[in-house]
Amino acid sequence: MIRLQSSWLLESATEVASIESLFFPFIHRYSSLNWFSRREMPMTVNNPLDSQAMLLRVWLEGKNGHFSEKNRRKFNQVIKKPLELDMNPFRAWNDRLFDRKQLDYLFYWRESAYEIEEVAQREIFWSAVYAIMSYWHSNRKIGRAPAYEPDEIMHYVLQMHKDNLNKKECDLTLLSAPFEEIEAPEVSLAVFPLIFSDEESEENQLQSIFHAWLHGHADTEQASRDIKNQLRKYSFSLEKKTDFPNYLRLGANADVVAICWSGEELPPRIHEQEIIDPFRREFSNHFSRSRFSIKTINPTTDTYDYLLLFFN
Amino acid sequence: MLINIFNVILIILITFVTYKYFALREKSAPSLDRTMNYINGFGAIADRVEGYDSPHAMIMADMAEKIAREKGMSEDEIISLRYAAILHDIGEILLPRNLLKTSEKLDEENLFLLRTHPLLGELQLRNKDFPYDEVPTLVRWHHERFDGTGYPDSLKGEEIPLSCRILALVDAVSAMKEERPYRKKAMKMNEIVKELDLKSGIQFDPELVEIWKMLFLKAQTGGEN
Repeated sequence: MIRLQSSWLLESATEVASIESLFFPFIHRYSSLNWFSRREMPMTVNNPLDSQAMLLRVWLEGKNGHFSEKNRRKFNQVIKKPLELDMNPFRAWNDRLFDRKQLDYLFYWRESAYEIEEVAQREIFWSAVYAIMSYWHSNRKIGRAPAYEPDEIMHYVLQMHKDNLNKKECDLTLLSAPFEEIEAPEVSLAVFPLIFSDEESEENQLQSIFHAWLHGHADTEQASRDIKNQLRKYSFSLEKKTDFPNYLRLGANADVVAICWSGEELPPRIHEQEIIDPFRREFSNHFSRSRFSIKTINPTTDTYDYLLLFFN
Repeated sequence: MLINIFNVILIILITFVTYKYFALREKSAPSLDRTMNYINGFGAIADRVEGYDSPHAMIMADMAEKIAREKGMSEDEIISLRYAAILHDIGEILLPRNLLKTSEKLDEENLFLLRTHPLLGELQLRNKDFPYDEVPTLVRWHHERFDGTGYPDSLKGEEIPLSCRILALVDAVSAMKEERPYRKKAMKMNEIVKELDLKSGIQFDPELVEIWKMLFLKAQTGGEN
């Protein structure tokens, strides 16, 4: 889990250099970049996962507009009779992750979207499902029935997407490539939101479910392995060897490199020893200076947000 | 006679010990009380700037504390939460007054300006060397939404610290109970519950909504306000 504090990041980087463009070799969740997307600043963003890259295209870039009213009327229908469960590829999730009615809609939404001719429109429709899964999931966790019916929440999310499009200002370049294939762009600031290889969070679980759904199967374990495999060259580990040269290569053409992460249950001095010091050692040949900042979130649980800057 | 002298000495001794006890107690906690008084004062100013007739921030702090206790949060966490509740809109003091008082729908530019208030609040508290390090950060995130569409950082679900999820809920509930520039009438309790149910899992943490409802129902049946 990471809390990306955009304004803190930009203010801190601005203290050491003039920041005019941004590069995120990886972003863990599309809406983390909402604040940056409202700045008039060129931004290059990558996510190697096709499911997450689609969310970035639809929610962050939004250059293909909103879901048309004609398509909404045609594809966001109410299912009047339960569908045959045996035909549903997601039936393994029944009563485990979703209820029967929700499964019918997950099947119907995925399949009916293939009838949408424009790929961009189809992606908007599918991307709405991610937000809906999140809504269902959070209510299910406490055994509560969601207040909105499936077609109502689909309508709500599509409307939210439409409203959100007007707020974008930045010049965005989206990539969806493995880390080793990305060329490091010349930018003012390269940001690495650190993700930890052993971390299990609700958002990770949701992303696995969505990834599996988008690929038409119910095997969330397989989806989780696929995701971990894709992020292998990027994720940070206290136990295994971290791919520092990969970080250094991706940040090589930036004036400032920012590494940010969130921690809990470990005091800051452990983070200094296990994360900050190794990064400083690896980056010292390329960047002569560094600055470390910390924000207290909850001292009772040793919860802090960290920001490490490298610059010359 | 001896008994009487003994009684007098005993009374003097008890009075002295009692005096010492209260003097010591006052000495041991004056800074916290003083800090709290200052904070309450700032909170009241922010309430007036926002156009609340009631002590909105104080109501929020009390409601937040009840939820926090139900969630088993520690005393330190509850103190921070109370401070953050009282100071949550301190950043609005720096915004143009007409922005807060208008009943008209804000355009994109003004909406953006209004949405800077959590950042301004955080900055103000950090500049003042506020004694509780975490409170400015809690103020920063009181407008985050559970589905990741809030501001300023669009944090989602468990990324939002529990205290901030509580603040977001009690701020909204407290506002629903009042007349606001954008809503002529205060909402009735059944309307508030309906609204919270609709926004559960979207704007609010569903678990906290259920706790709030449970506390509210308890208050209704127990005759508590």
